[in-house]
Amino acid sequence: MSQSHNSVEPNVIDDEMIQKAIEEQYPEDIGQLAKKEGTDFKDVTELQLSFRNILQIDNLWQFENLTKLQLDNNIIEKIEALECLVHLVWLDLSFNNIEVIEGLDTLVKLQDLSLYNNRISKIEHMDTLQELQIFSIGKNNLTTLEDVIYLRRFKNLRTLNLTGNPLCDDERYMLFVVAYLPNLMYLDFKLVSDSTREAAVLEYQDRTDLLEGEEAQVLAELEEKQAKQQELEYHKTAFVEYLNGSFLFDNMYEDDTEAAKLASLPGVSDLLQKYREEFVSVCENLFNFGLKEYEKREAEVSEFCECRNEALTANQQESRKLILDFENRNKMTLDEIHNAGSSDIAESKRAEYKADIHQLSEALMTLEILIADQMEELANDFKGNMAVVASTFIENIKGIMNQCRDLENRHHEKLLEICITTLEKSVKNELEEDLPDEVRMLLVDKNTIVNAANVSHGVRLRKIDMRESDIFTNTYRWQASVTEKAFQNEVDRNREHVKEILQYIDSLQEELHNMETLEPME
Amino acid sequence: MDYTPYVAGMETLKFPSILPALTPQFLSPQPPSCCPPLAAFSSALNEESGHRSVTGGGRMEVLEEREEEEHEEEQEEEEQKDKELKPLEISDKPEDLKTKESVERVCVPSDVPDFDWSSIDTSQLPSSYKTNSPSEEKLLHVAAHFLQQYTHICPDRKPLFLHPVNECGVEKFVSTTVRPTLLPYTELYHWDGCASFVSDYLIMEPLKSPITPVPKEEIKKSNKYRIKSPPDLQSKFELQQKAKKAKKAETEAAQKDKERGEEMVMKVEKPKGDPLHGLRVHAWVLVLSGKREVPETFFINPFTGNSHSTTDEQFLGIESIWNHRNYWVNMQDCWNGCKDLVFDLSDNIRWEVMLSGSDKPHQLLPDAEEKNELPDNDMDDVPEPEDENRNLDMPPSWVDPIQISPREFETRCCQGTKVTLYKKAKLEKWAPYLNANGLVKRLTVYADAECSEVVEVKEWFTNREDMLDLREVNKRTQLTTDYFSPGHRFHLKAHTYMWLEPETENTMEFYNEARVDGLQKRVQSAMEMTEYFVGRDDFLHVRYTEFGKRGKKVHLAGMRADANARPIVQIKECFHRNPEKPADEDVAERIFLITEEMIHLTYHLKDNYLTASQKDFFKIPEGEIRGREDVMTPDMCITYQAGFSKEEKLVHLYKMLQELIEVEKQLKEQVRRSEAEVLNILKTRENEENSVKLLVSIYDTERNEKRRQEYEAMKKSREDDLLGQEGQDLDYLAPFLLQTGNTEKITKAQALRLRNDCLADLKRRLVNKANIIQARFDKAVEELQKKDEWFQENQDKLSEEEEEEFLARYSETTFLIHILSLRLRREKETAPQKYLALEEKLRKDPRFAEHLGHA
Repeated sequence: MSQSHNSVEPNVIDDEMIQKAIEEQYPEDIGQLAKKEGTDFKDVTELQLSFRNILQIDNLWQFENLTKLQLDNNIIEKIEALECLVHLVWLDLSFNNIEVIEGLDTLVKLQDLSLYNNRISKIEHMDTLQELQIFSIGKNNLTTLEDVIYLRRFKNLRTLNLTGNPLCDDERYMLFVVAYLPNLMYLDFKLVSDSTREAAVLEYQDRTDLLEGEEAQVLAELEEKQAKQQELEYHKTAFVEYLNGSFLFDNMYEDDTEAAKLASLPGVSDLLQKYREEFVSVCENLFNFGLKEYEKREAEVSEFCECRNEALTANQQESRKLILDFENRNKMTLDEIHNAGSSDIAESKRAEYKADIHQLSEALMTLEILIADQMEELANDFKGNMAVVASTFIENIKGIMNQCRDLENRHHEKLLEICITTLEKSVKNELEEDLPDEVRMLLVDKNTIVNAANVSHGVRLRKIDMRESDIFTNTYRWQASVTEKAFQNEVDRNREHVKEILQYIDSLQEELHNMETLEPME
Repeated sequence: MDYTPYVAGMETLKFPSILPALTPQFLSPQPPSCCPPLAAFSSALNEESGHRSVTGGGRMEVLEEREEEEHEEEQEEEEQKDKELKPLEISDKPEDLKTKESVERVCVPSDVPDFDWSSIDTSQLPSSYKTNSPSEEKLLHVAAHFLQQYTHICPDRKPLFLHPVNECGVEKFVSTTVRPTLLPYTELYHWDGCASFVSDYLIMEPLKSPITPVPKEEIKKSNKYRIKSPPDLQSKFELQQKAKKAKKAETEAAQKDKERGEEMVMKVEKPKGDPLHGLRVHAWVLVLSGKREVPETFFINPFTGNSHSTTDEQFLGIESIWNHRNYWVNMQDCWNGCKDLVFDLSDNIRWEVMLSGSDKPHQLLPDAEEKNELPDNDMDDVPEPEDENRNLDMPPSWVDPIQISPREFETRCCQGTKVTLYKKAKLEKWAPYLNANGLVKRLTVYADAECSEVVEVKEWFTNREDMLDLREVNKRTQLTTDYFSPGHRFHLKAHTYMWLEPETENTMEFYNEARVDGLQKRVQSAMEMTEYFVGRDDFLHVRYTEFGKRGKKVHLAGMRADANARPIVQIKECFHRNPEKPADEDVAERIFLITEEMIHLTYHLKDNYLTASQKDFFKIPEGEIRGREDVMTPDMCITYQAGFSKEEKLVHLYKMLQELIEVEKQLKEQVRRSEAEVLNILKTRENEENSVKLLVSIYDTERNEKRRQEYEAMKKSREDDLLGQEGQDLDYLAPFLLQTGNTEKITKAQALRLRNDCLADLKRRLVNKANIIQARFDKAVEELQKKDEWFQENQDKLSEEEEEEFLARYSETTFLIHILSLRLRREKETAPQKYLALEEKLRKDPRFAEHLGHA
């Protein structure tokens, strides 16, 4: 029929080919319509491009909603240009010249993949295809039986075809595959029998058990990590991430060489230990306070949403009632106008109907204006409340942070004391312990050591300030966004509603108008 | 006072006609250790359901008598007396006393005028029914003495109900009519089940009023019963009549003011004044608290089986109480009804006990004696017998134990049916399988107290093959509703109809869980059919079909079978929201206007939207479609899209239309199928009603004819098998006869040889058998020895498990050896006997008779 079928010339997928393919797959009547109207590629869900001598896949990026794609019986050598087809469920690449499995990472919805009769020698690059149920990779170059273990990651895989691969000649083949893929129901077009399964378990149980143990461990680790991540996310939304513990404290001393040096002065480690405990406990307070405040904020927001939804629902029902009343009232009106005996009667009825439409429109608009006012007021209240919530939160944070600073200052004073006493002792050569040279350097004179202590103190204070301002910024950002969202939502809603009302009224009037224009013709 | 169930023997005498086959009676199947239910004859006047006949003006003495007897049947303790017990010092007003007396008299059983004593067949009854044993005689004597003292001390009170005559005309002490019996039905284990069972056996019959309307007659009657002066009843009655009249007048006066209808109701509903208030003495069952987790003492009304608190206003007092052990007379003041009564029967001051020695320690005696002696001198004359009396034990009951067969138990009421009248209602009960249509209960509700206008009839059925459970007929609306248990062929749950005709108004409800299509209800009328669905995957919940009138044209042109079906005007389907689709792609309602060739779709509302998207499709009539170039043009579909509207492709709309047209076709078929189903159901229902079949449990061999036949056939075949074996045994000569040619006549030589052969054969077989057993025995012993040796050798190497296994095997083998040795011994013992038995048999064999018989 078409040229491409007969030509031996290698092709690249182009618009013309696609257009043709689409037209061909419709039945005749729809095909005509489609041709006349043109097809939007976005609406196409299935595409068949078999037997077209395609060498290179291309030009498919427009088919966003494609779920089924057939590219079998071509001469494709490389899987490519399929990244955009994220909704693909069914992909047929059989009878091609593919050598490597690749380019499938984005096709996460893929359930049925056929790579039958290609030149593939390794199963790989398929980790994201977690939905895979049917996988056909027969007549390829797979040689290593252990490759099959790769398929264990597909928990939904039920049907597998491996026939015609070199690895099938291995006498262990059947039992090995069944043992390592216990969920498999069909292997090489045949139902896996219970007896095979039992034999496989018997043969390979030790090894699969081992493997399962490892997998379970990996899974557990992953889950743990995810849980941690999730918790951290939660803490972040509460603006108090990394405050439940000594993170901040450790952070303060990180990279602080002066402090490290000072720490080896006699008595400082005890002091540090105590300081650390106190500081961490203040941090814990801050953290718990943050979580509590977060719950409060969420409650506040959800209360606002609830109230808003309630009001909207009430309003919607009222409007809906108006519309239903109108529709019931005027169900027969159009027919009556249409069948009216005289044009006078028709005219008067039409006028009546028009008035009614107008009235409906007025009523709907009034309701909308009312609700819009109410919503705005509500949003303003919300804004005010949010501001109060944010500022009290910040005040409290400030308070707690000041506790941190006080602790730091006190610590610093004590540290200075120690420094000076140590210095004095050192001067008098009364020092008992042997101090590292670096520290001894500090003990040269008062200025040096005081400076060192001051520098380290400054660093720590800055860290505290930074953490504090982090919280402030996040809070303000959150406050702004949540407030703005409330307003924006309202604006959008209002616009949409007004539009809807206008559109509805328009459609009513149009209906009436159509009749007017129809009548003269009769 | 521990006690056991009670059985009475007297019922037989009273209701022979009612209990034809069953002689029985009642039972209180409580287990041995429960608190004693006591029957009390109190003067409670209780206008319970069953008593309406009394108010209707029957003869009251008889009624009372009847009731008493019935109570006895039920077997609790009894006692009779009437009215409030007043303390000894307070004397009744004379008129009251007389009244009471008159009532009392009538209470003596032999006086019951209209009971036909000859209707009881006493010939089959055991002798204990007909005579009194010495101890019973003694008891009667004691009772007489007790009564004598009692009347002396309490002249104002009625004589005690102590020893009524039984069905054989013999006086029996009431306590001995009670025989505790435990019955094998769990239902009867608790008082409520038991009481309701007994109540089903009791039937109220209206009795003539003891106070006839005409005063003169009344006097006459009183005379007959030797009442000295005309009872005060008369005046009382008249007073009440007057009061009634006054009331009536009042009512009439009110009638003028009020609306008529209301009036009528009021009048009808007003309870009639009871002229015999407080004059009757009833027998009730009293259950004392304490044992078997009975928290509070209460009464049981034997006619209804309901319990009543002792503090109920309706109870006016208690005369006496008895059970199978003893008899107590109430000595407490009953001015406040039963509310203040103390039910501690060991309290000798409040309760005068008759046989104090029977279950009371002796120290209580003095008190009792004192009390009795106080009022009267006569007492002193007979102190000795009294002492004896007090120590007398209650003789065992003379009554046969009650036996109730499962059949009788199931039948419940006498004759299997019972009618109870209530205010404005009648309740009829039948035993299962009594009615061919499975009817077991019918409640008729009337609009008026006279029961002339039926409002509603409810009928309950059981064991019906069509699972019909309940039928309600509303006589006002003429609507019948049938309710079905799960399991009907069409999964019917309820069916409301006026006539079982197609295309009439009817509503069918279904067990939607059982139906594939999830149909829950189908409402039909001449022009409409509405189907309601639940839990469907396609979210359909209502399908409404409107039919047009049958056109004649259609009829004439009718070529297909369903051509005469009602034309469908429109089909409307409503869907729930499918959360997986966006709202404006999820159809909420689709209407197929079939006559107008139009399809109307309405979608679900989007969040916060006021208007739903809509689509109207106009189909091209079949004829025009071919001539057209375009299969789809924009004017074939009018769309209103709520919110932003995107231009829809014609292709899309065309596909949609095609699909809808297909759906329409299927829907039409669906509607026809529904109609066919309705027809089918109606027809089936009619058939089912016309030939009701009852289900019988396969375990019910009595009723399940088929099952019984099967069983009998099986039994028979089994017997046949046995017979067959025996036949073979009998034919022990056959093989030998065959060898000799089976001649008709046997010579003596042949006979002898046959006999010898036969015996030799048996001997051989017996020996063989013994040998086989011996061989097995030897083998088992050998095996055991081997095992033992092996065990001895390997004992040290064995793991615990192996050792256990060995021990198990070892004991198994030992057991086998034991069995084998037993069998061997038995074989040795029985073999000579068998041999002798055969020899004897052969000698007696008719075929050998002439040759060996005399040997």
